[in-house]
This record gives sequence, C-alpha cells and structure tokens, in this order.
Amino acid sequence: MTADFVTVLWKEWKEIAMERSAGSTGSYRPLILIAVFGILFPLRMGPERFFSAAGLLAPTFFSAIVITAVIADSFAGERERHTLETLLASRLSDRSILFGKIAACVAYGWLISISCIVAGAITVNVTNWHGQILMFHDAASWLLFLFGPPLLGGAIAAAGVLVSLHATTVRQAQQTLSIGFAVVFIGTIFGSSMLPKDWQAWFVRILVTWSQADLVLAAAGVLLVIDLALLAAGMARFQRARLVLD
Amino acid sequence: MAELAIRALGLTRAFETVRALDDLNLEVPAGSVFGFLGPNGAGKTTTIRLLLGLIEPTSGSAQVLGFDTRTQGADIRARTGALLEHSGLYERLSAEDNLRFYGRVAHMPKEQLNQRIQELLTHLGLWDRRKEAVVKWSRGMKQKLAIARPLLHRPGLVFLDEPTAGLDPVAAASLRDDLAALAARQGATIFLTTHNMAEAEKLCSLVAVIRQGKLLAVGSPADLRSRGGGQRTEITGRGFSDAMLAMLSQQAGVTQASVENGRLVLVLKDGAGVAPFISLIVREGGEVQEVRSGQGSLEDVFLTLMEEEK
Repeated sequence: MTADFVTVLWKEWKEIAMERSAGSTGSYRPLILIAVFGILFPLRMGPERFFSAAGLLAPTFFSAIVITAVIADSFAGERERHTLETLLASRLSDRSILFGKIAACVAYGWLISISCIVAGAITVNVTNWHGQILMFHDAASWLLFLFGPPLLGGAIAAAGVLVSLHATTVRQAQQTLSIGFAVVFIGTIFGSSMLPKDWQAWFVRILVTWSQADLVLAAAGVLLVIDLALLAAGMARFQRARLVLD
Repeated sequence: MAELAIRALGLTRAFETVRALDDLNLEVPAGSVFGFLGPNGAGKTTTIRLLLGLIEPTSGSAQVLGFDTRTQGADIRARTGALLEHSGLYERLSAEDNLRFYGRVAHMPKEQLNQRIQELLTHLGLWDRRKEAVVKWSRGMKQKLAIARPLLHRPGLVFLDEPTAGLDPVAAASLRDDLAALAARQGATIFLTTHNMAEAEKLCSLVAVIRQGKLLAVGSPADLRSRGGGQRTEITGRGFSDAMLAMLSQQAGVTQASVENGRLVLVLKDGAGVAPFISLIVREGGEVQEVRSGQGSLEDVFLTLMEEEK
C-alpha cells in the first residue's frame, strides 16, 4: 500500500510539474502567486503585520485556491483524458490511488504556500534590514505556518474529490469548486453577522479571551474533523465498480 | 487438457433492461492468441471489464489465471496487462515516464524495469524519442506505446481492446506485426477484441464471435471458415447494377452480394451452387467474363453469422 501510494504520488507530481512547465498560462500561475503573496503583499504589510498569524492567512487561503485547480485536474482530468479506466485496471488499490492523488495536490498547495511565505520573509528582511534577521516570533504564527495550509488544503482536496467525481470535465469541476469555496468563504464572513446576538457575543468573548495560539489550534481541530469527514465520503465514493461505469 | 487462462461459465451482465453479456461460456487456452470478434456494442468491452474484475457479473462466474473474478479481482489485475478502449497514456509525461509509472505499479525492480523499457521501446522503434512528451507524438506512435504498456511486466495474460482502431492501414499493419512478434517472444495469452477480421485472421489461433451479448461461434479461423463461411465467388465482368445486387441478395442461397474492386462478390450458403446465379446475372443484363470460387474469408463467416442472428 505504501509503495503504491508513493508511486501514485510520483506520477501526480510529474503530471503537475509537466503541466506547469508546458508553456501554457497555467505554468505562470504559481509564479504570479509568489510575486503577489511573496513580494507585493509583504512590501505593503511591513514586518509587524507580515510576521504575525494574520499575515499568514492570505498565502494559506490562496494556496487552497491553487489546490482547487490541481485536484480537479487530477480526478476529473483522468476521466476527461480517458486514463482513469486503465489506472483502475491496474493492480493499484482504490485507496492508494485516492490518497496518492490527494497527497500530491495538498503537497503542491503547501509548497506554494511555503514559497510565498519564504519569499515574503526575504522581501521584508531585505527592505527592513537593520543588521538582524526578522522572523515569526509567536506560537500562533508557527502553528498556522505548519498546519494551516495542509489542513485547509486537505479539506479543499477532499471536497474536490467529491466534486470532480461528479463533474464531466475539468473545467466544470474547477468552476464548481471555485464557486463553492467562494460561497463558504463569503458565507462565513457575512453569515456570522446573521447569527443570534448571544451566539455572536459568545464568539466575540472567545476571540477576546483566548490566546491566538488557542484560536489557531481550535480552528485546526475543526478543519481536521472536516478533513476526515470529507475524506470518508471520498473513500465511499471512490470505488472501482462505480467509477468504471460512470 | 490444455491449461486454461480464462474460463467463463454462464457469465451474464445486465445494465437495467439491457443484457450486455448473456450466458457467456468460454474457454481460452493458455498461450493462445484469442480473438473476440463482434460489432460495436456486442459486449466485448463489458466482457473484458468482467474478466478483469472491474465490474461484477449479474450471474455466472469466471476464472482468470485460476482466480475468481468476483472475489480475486486484485490478483487478476496484478497478473494481467490491459489495453482498454482508450490508450490510457498520460500525454503530458514522456514515453519513458509512462512506462516507468506502470512498471512501478507492477512492483518491478528498478534495474529490470530500465532494461525492459529499453527492450520494448527499442523493439517498437521509439527508444530515441523516449524523453518526449507523448502529446507530441503521432497516433500510431502513441498506440505502439499503449501496447508496450500492458506487456511491460510480462504478464501471463494481456487484454487488448481493439488495438488498431483508428489507425491508418499502414500503421495498423505495422502494429500488427509488432504485436505478433511481441506475443511470440513473450509467450503470453492474448485476449484481443476487434471488429477487424483481417487482423483476427492474421493474429489469432482461436476466435469467438459475439453479437448482442451472445456468443455465436468459437473455433480456429480455419474451423470457422469451413463451418459457416460458405462459398465465396468472385465474378469479373460488367453491368453489375445496384438493382442486380439487391435482387441477388434476396436469393435463398446468397448470404451476401457486393461489388469489390469492380468484381461482383457472392457469398453463398453451404450447398448452394453458383451456376443458377450466373444464369440470373446474364438474364438481368450482366456480362460475365470470369468466375472464381473459393472458401469464404473470416469476414464472410462473420457477416453470415450476423445475418443469421438478425
């Protein structure tokens, strides 16, 4: 199982790398993201805001958006390009295919996020150089740096599996995922103001009284539960006999 | 009794109201090249899916290399190679990476895999272009690579679903030669589906004909030709009009009447003499210069079987 998982991961990475270096518009997307979130944003933010948990939210969210494109290509793309049935006719287990693909997409999103943050740290240090390296200095930032992209990316990737297996084309899967991501994101912001007053007060109390590290850990816990639930749904859906006949 | 690579007993698969495969009983000896012939929608692909354990039969059972397709699909897939309806190639990847991926899937040791990739690509004339992304290749080159893929780990049984479909005649002939050479060298059982009779006749030691999910005939190409192909008569001459063809087609002893390369071709049912039809042609205004009779081809057998089942 582990060897098969690594084999699928290897193939997915190769495909992602080849697609991104094939000279299509897609090949510039990661560079644009790194330029925006690794150079422009950090320049505007300055060292105080950049080296904080809040400063890490932008690259974390945008790496998740990258994952929507990659995961749709990985699953819906296999069907669109007629490679899925051959893959299913191999000795690979359903789970090694599923987990290998998800892991490759999450790792790619994570890599983009880390690249943005590292580029940002260099940018801020170069433009604010006073003979001392500036770095994240609180637990919340480090927790978000380490766990934010994989947990959020994992949720997006697992949701992407479910969407992609129902979509007929990569484009349809990408659009559905992007819209779904935007609805959840905007819905969370505006929906919170529509909650009952005592719920809002409870949330505000938590935000004020809890430390940032506790808040990040709590969010990570919620994301982990969402990841596992979506992954379980993905495992139930990703079954040979169903996929062959879809 | 010869060892069997495939044994199907009453294998049936229904999709809602349609029986894609109906009570298939089949034995494929190990080491044979077995042709599974049928028109589009006959149930060929469904049969392969069932034999690979990708879908479950509605009823009946099948054993492939001694493994039950219902419960041991993973064992079957580990010991077989399959080229399905589509090439299954990752076109962004190079030819070498495509083969390397499936070699790793088959758990081939690295050294052995490298050697095998070189051997196959060299044999198919693709070695010099192994680093190129497959997307840049011609259809014939892609199809050659697609055939190399299921042979990579030297499986005991290879399923090839219409391997030359969509290729031009030259590329198809070249691919057939490669396939025949590879099959002979490897000694594997090959289960080949096709609706190209010439291909089946050239490659297969045994053939089965299927239509609407039902098996119509099984045997060697020579057996089938002698059993059901009837007599093929080629008439050289002039004045073979469409009306004459239609009239001949309706005659009791005629299975098929057509014009091929300017010659009138009649496929006659067993026991039917050609003389009455020559008289008929002359009476209808046709001019007969030469008549040649021989045994029908596998295609004639196939067409006869299709006609009989209508």
